[in-house]
Amino acid sequence: MANPEQSKSWKDSNLYIGFKDFWNEYKRHKIGILGLLILILFTGMAIAAPQLATHDPSPTNKVAPNFLAPSWMSFFDPNGVVTGEYIPDPFLVEAPSFTKVGPYADQFSATHHASEENFTQSYVNLTWNYAAGSGVSIDVDPEKQMPDSSSFIYFTQSFDWPFERIPSDVNMTLEYGVTLTGDFKTQELGGIMFRVYIWLIDSSGNWHQVYHSSSPYTPTLQDRRIDLSYFDIAAGWGGMVIGKDGTQEDPNDTLTVAVGLAPTKNFDDFLGDHPWQYYNGSVTVQVTEISLIAYGEYFGLLGTTDKGADAWSQLVYGSRVSLTIGILATLLSTIVGVVVGMAAGYFGGRIDEILMRTVDFLLVIPGLPLMMVLAAFLGPSIENIIIVISILGWTGTSRIVRSQVMAEKNKAYVESARAIGASDTYIMYRHIFPNVTPILFADITLGVVGAILSESGLAFLGLTDPSQPSWGRMLADAQGSGGFYNGAWWVVVFPGLMITILSLAFTFVGHTLDQVLNPRLRER
Amino acid sequence: MGLREYVIRRVIYMFLLVVAVVCFNFFLFRLPTLILGVSPVDLMISEELRRNLTRDALEQLYLRFGLVPEPDIFDWIYMFWRYIVNMFTGNFGISFVTQKPVIDEIMERLPNTLLLMGTSSIVAIIIGIWTGVRVAAEPGSRKDVGAVTLALFIYSLPIFWLGMMLLMIFAFYLPALTNGLISFPLFGTINYDNFALVTNNPLGGLIAAADILHHLFLPMITLGVGGYGGYFLYMRNNLIDVMTEDYILTARAKGLDENQVLYKHGLKNAMLPMVTIIAMTFGFIINGATLTETVFTWYGLGRYIFDSLIILDYPVVQAIFMIIAITAILANFIADLLYGVLDPRIKYG
Repeated sequence: MANPEQSKSWKDSNLYIGFKDFWNEYKRHKIGILGLLILILFTGMAIAAPQLATHDPSPTNKVAPNFLAPSWMSFFDPNGVVTGEYIPDPFLVEAPSFTKVGPYADQFSATHHASEENFTQSYVNLTWNYAAGSGVSIDVDPEKQMPDSSSFIYFTQSFDWPFERIPSDVNMTLEYGVTLTGDFKTQELGGIMFRVYIWLIDSSGNWHQVYHSSSPYTPTLQDRRIDLSYFDIAAGWGGMVIGKDGTQEDPNDTLTVAVGLAPTKNFDDFLGDHPWQYYNGSVTVQVTEISLIAYGEYFGLLGTTDKGADAWSQLVYGSRVSLTIGILATLLSTIVGVVVGMAAGYFGGRIDEILMRTVDFLLVIPGLPLMMVLAAFLGPSIENIIIVISILGWTGTSRIVRSQVMAEKNKAYVESARAIGASDTYIMYRHIFPNVTPILFADITLGVVGAILSESGLAFLGLTDPSQPSWGRMLADAQGSGGFYNGAWWVVVFPGLMITILSLAFTFVGHTLDQVLNPRLRER
Repeated sequence: MGLREYVIRRVIYMFLLVVAVVCFNFFLFRLPTLILGVSPVDLMISEELRRNLTRDALEQLYLRFGLVPEPDIFDWIYMFWRYIVNMFTGNFGISFVTQKPVIDEIMERLPNTLLLMGTSSIVAIIIGIWTGVRVAAEPGSRKDVGAVTLALFIYSLPIFWLGMMLLMIFAFYLPALTNGLISFPLFGTINYDNFALVTNNPLGGLIAAADILHHLFLPMITLGVGGYGGYFLYMRNNLIDVMTEDYILTARAKGLDENQVLYKHGLKNAMLPMVTIIAMTFGFIINGATLTETVFTWYGLGRYIFDSLIILDYPVVQAIFMIIAITAILANFIADLLYGVLDPRIKYG
């Protein structure tokens, strides 16, 4: 049988009742609720940063040309090119369309393997099976766009190009491995008998070759990064854009990327030797990725920075830095402030004198210059920035705590506690401290604002870790590279807006806590 | 205890504070030398040059920076002594970079900083007090809530970002939109293209002044807004506190109209703590505003202290630091005295 005293509902506990009263009072303040909601949002953002970020957030991680505008700004400029991946299925999850051409098309075959488990990639196999003497159809293209052989195999992926402008740059990636058997493997020259190609095919049916492979080949998958030249881009995209005469060359705005495998003219005749007469064996090209990133005026959610990094990812990760430094620096300075303030207020006399003179001393030291000097001397790690910010942050707290303790310590309950033999530390932390805490909450929240602003200021001056994405750092980059001289207002506006909103949320919560918990204000 | 004793005690206390700051400064700026053993001389001359110098020449070189090569404990005491003597005789050494006396470099930038900080503080104080009084007359009104929310917003605003935004709007987009009709300079304190115009013209001084004001406008507004929130909140809260006092009730009971009560009785008393705050503000005025000065590339002390720190020009940083701290101590002292003089209720003790 449980003791009736203990079986009382937790809802009757002092803590719960106190909190409920507090909450009832708090929720009457609209700005307090607003601040709380924003804080929850930002905390969620900091926690979910890896999921929210679209790119590696390092400020030096170049993913596109610099100062590209946010994608949504293309709403005002429908012809502006939005940077992105344009191949609909770059990792070949679905089977692409295969085509075999030429009189000897039956030498070729293709298969598609869909990924069965998470660890096996999808891929496409293009195979050329050759038996000695079965024949080649060599037809060398004088413009070098088509393969040497008119019999070959390829697969295609098509995409629409809705813009009336060609991309500023295009990067393609082809990941493939080649498995050889028979004479292709054993013969020294087996590797020059065939090639893997990439073509751009516009809707008028013009083929433009942007890549051909060369020996040696390995079965291991390898990345080929292909940076298209201006001529490649003009050949592929030029026909889809309305020209100076007001007409469009190609019938529609579709571009096709083709990856193919074809014999070369060496297979017919290599310095008087005729490999096609005696070669037996097969060539299998395994393609796991074909991607095409076209760069234009617009990129991602928030565009790119001065170094071509993704601004959105940096912005998301920046919330981590601001929240961590803001909260930890305030925590540290509050602990120091409370200990100093309690000691000074409770013991009084010489201890009080020494501690308060220290506070006076710190108050005449210029704040930002001291932080700058210390940050420069100690180095830019997060721990050091926290220490630097809290070195000056505790003075205000200690004064508040001291005056509150001095008011509390002469009250009767403290005297009675002392009369029954309680030690100083016990009285300080069990009796006085709980009566001081309500005042502290508002001070702590407003302290976080100061810490966040200090951090952003130090970051703006370049005194924080340059590899860490942070809002102040983004503003520093924007300023240092003349962000808005290039018309890139987004690199200036968004990081500053984030700092402002986050500190505003803390200010609102702090102000509300002050209104609710500070008895002097409550009477008004 | 009378006024004289109080002043004497404050002066002694102030002197102790100055001594503390001087000592702190000495160790702060010798931290790299103490911890890492790196001296500014190492940054100036190469290893080869160092080996070729005679012991005497090397010592002379070190002495220019108030240092001793490979110091032992007695050298440290000697360095400290030299440093103290220099500080109290106003000799702040020479800049590593320009090789000019630090004090000259500072004096060159001081007027700019005083101009910027002075005008922006005055604007912030006047508008802050004015709106604070207007709002405190009717606490809880819609006007009051709006003004307080605005002040909280300013409190949360990174001021350097506000500067960047103003610079972007008024110096980049507006000139482009209005074809240069409304235009503010993107950088600097004065336009050197006007040099010939200014020097060859009897009214050149006026042109230069107008040019400086043109450059001053945006950073002044930035810092003015930044300071405004604090003055406004302080004034408002003080005045609301004062208006609950008994003597206000008495004044009302005498039949004075509300405006007279507010301005004659309320404002006068609420201004007392404001005076302290204002005096303290002017104490930190030569502090400059590193961030805002950096944004606007204003040729002032705030930017100078940062630039010198980055290129390790320690004598400059140390001297500015020293001057700022001593001014702040003096301002504190004056604020204390002012408070006592203005408020006859204060008993010294």
